[in-house]
Amino acid sequence: MTIKKFINTVFMTEILKGMALTFRSMLTPAITRQYPKVKRSAAAGFRGEHAFVRDPETGREKCIGCGLCGAVCPSQCIHIYTSEDPETHKKIVDRYEIELLRCVYCAFCVEACPVGAISLTENYEYADYSREALYMTKEKLLANWDKFMAGKKGEEYFKKFWHPQANDFAAYAGQAVFNHKPKVEGK
Amino acid sequence: MGEIEEKDIDQGKKLGTQELTLSMGPQHPATHGVLRLVLELDGETVTKCTPYVGYLHRGVEKLGENKTYFSALPLTDRLDYISSMSNNVAYVVAVERLFGIEAPERAKYLRTIMSEMTRISSHIIWLGTHALDIGAMTVFLYSFREREWLLDLFEQACGARLTVSYPRIGGVRNDVSKEWLDSLYRFTQEFPARVDEYETLIDQNRIWLQRTKGIGVISAEEAINWGLTGGTLRGSGVNYDVRKAFPYDAYDKVEFEVPLGSAGDVYDRYRVRMGELRQANRIIKQCIEQMPDGPVLAPDAPKFILPAKENLFKNMESLIHHFVLLTKGPLTAPAGEIYSAAEVPKGELGFYIVSDGTGKPYRMRVRAPSFIHASVLPRLCEGGLVADVIANIGTIDIVLGECDR
Repeated sequence: MTIKKFINTVFMTEILKGMALTFRSMLTPAITRQYPKVKRSAAAGFRGEHAFVRDPETGREKCIGCGLCGAVCPSQCIHIYTSEDPETHKKIVDRYEIELLRCVYCAFCVEACPVGAISLTENYEYADYSREALYMTKEKLLANWDKFMAGKKGEEYFKKFWHPQANDFAAYAGQAVFNHKPKVEGK
Repeated sequence: MGEIEEKDIDQGKKLGTQELTLSMGPQHPATHGVLRLVLELDGETVTKCTPYVGYLHRGVEKLGENKTYFSALPLTDRLDYISSMSNNVAYVVAVERLFGIEAPERAKYLRTIMSEMTRISSHIIWLGTHALDIGAMTVFLYSFREREWLLDLFEQACGARLTVSYPRIGGVRNDVSKEWLDSLYRFTQEFPARVDEYETLIDQNRIWLQRTKGIGVISAEEAINWGLTGGTLRGSGVNYDVRKAFPYDAYDKVEFEVPLGSAGDVYDRYRVRMGELRQANRIIKQCIEQMPDGPVLAPDAPKFILPAKENLFKNMESLIHHFVLLTKGPLTAPAGEIYSAAEVPKGELGFYIVSDGTGKPYRMRVRAPSFIHASVLPRLCEGGLVADVIANIGTIDIVLGECDR
């Protein structure tokens, strides 16, 4: 035991072992990305910049101006201004604004919206030099939908990720059940 | 430069020596955040150490009183921001115990998996930064490789990497896919080899041993008296783990050991946390293998949990519940108080919630392990060398977001 300890001390075996490991990992492929050149695609359902869902039937936003998103927002960054249509007596959403600089990206607004009118896109590159660019208006939000979520992606988004499913047992038909058998450890 | 004369030496004796006051932080890179320590030094020896906290105070406890139980969840993400999933779980378990609702089995297993994934990602960031502070740089690079893997899994599961807000009162937000479980299972198979790699680098390294063995020693009795929890307590050999003592979620259904140290020094606490990495991996593996199917949100608590979205315009009660829950909170919440703790990577994170029967908590107190651990710093540092202050800050594993709340 003491001879072994002596050899370890003199030849610095533990340090050599560590250096062998670092040398080995020099030969493995690099895992770092050169970010601005090589971009990383966010996973489906990523909580990035907001978008307003454009209704394919009317071509306008789906929002009914109920104000639930503003009520549930933990950072209170959603501002909604509505008025009443004098003829049909329906609520009109005049202004719908989100302060991106205050938003915490919890996506409770998406969860709260009863009509599925707001979503978060997979866009994470929206840094800017001015505050105005990060103050989202209704038009900007609708443009975001066209840019990032239009088509099938937007439809799947609500089915897959934004669906509080308390009573909905039918949704569990295709549920993931793991059926790997536990591996027997060799001796 | 001339020769030193006799009278110069005499003058030095007359002037005497003076203690040096050194202000370390709040921008010091080794203080893991905005911790400020005022050290009084006699040469290299620390004679007095005073921690100052509060640079990251955001008033989470007060904010919690002004938000509904549902909306307060993202606040807990920002307590200990590198283990946000565990904080979420601790909060929702506290609220569930207060309301008397039970999450479905599948949700419990998912939350257990997520807590243990967080434990791994938090411990490897602790290991990397702790080793970096002491002078071993390579571990830092290797540990971030595995952390990236886990953060990618978080992103696929819930759409966010750091501030996840994934658990919900009465379950979790959404189910995970089979591919996700497969990917996590691959991780659990590869991870033990990665832990061996970290150990190859530093476990027997003579510099590491010199910097950690016999440094910051605290006895078991003293550790209990200081209120330490988590790996910091278990390094002194006290067998206390909230997961074993007061099981929540699926911890009573999985087998795991609680690694214990004996000497109570920096090295033993390091060994304990390395053991916890392996145990966390084991828990995840068991959870995946035992994973039951079923709903992920409690289906039988309509007054506390958001109803299914397609029912909103079919069912009047659902619509009313939806609006009331989101604007006023659960108005049928029972009045009372509860203290509920969970074992987060840092230690015991407790939530003391007083409910007065309205939709918002009357009081939400957070027992933050980092705050209590920061208070033990003077005890660990005083009498030691100034270089060991860095090792002591690393070993108590504090995050100032949680400390200042």
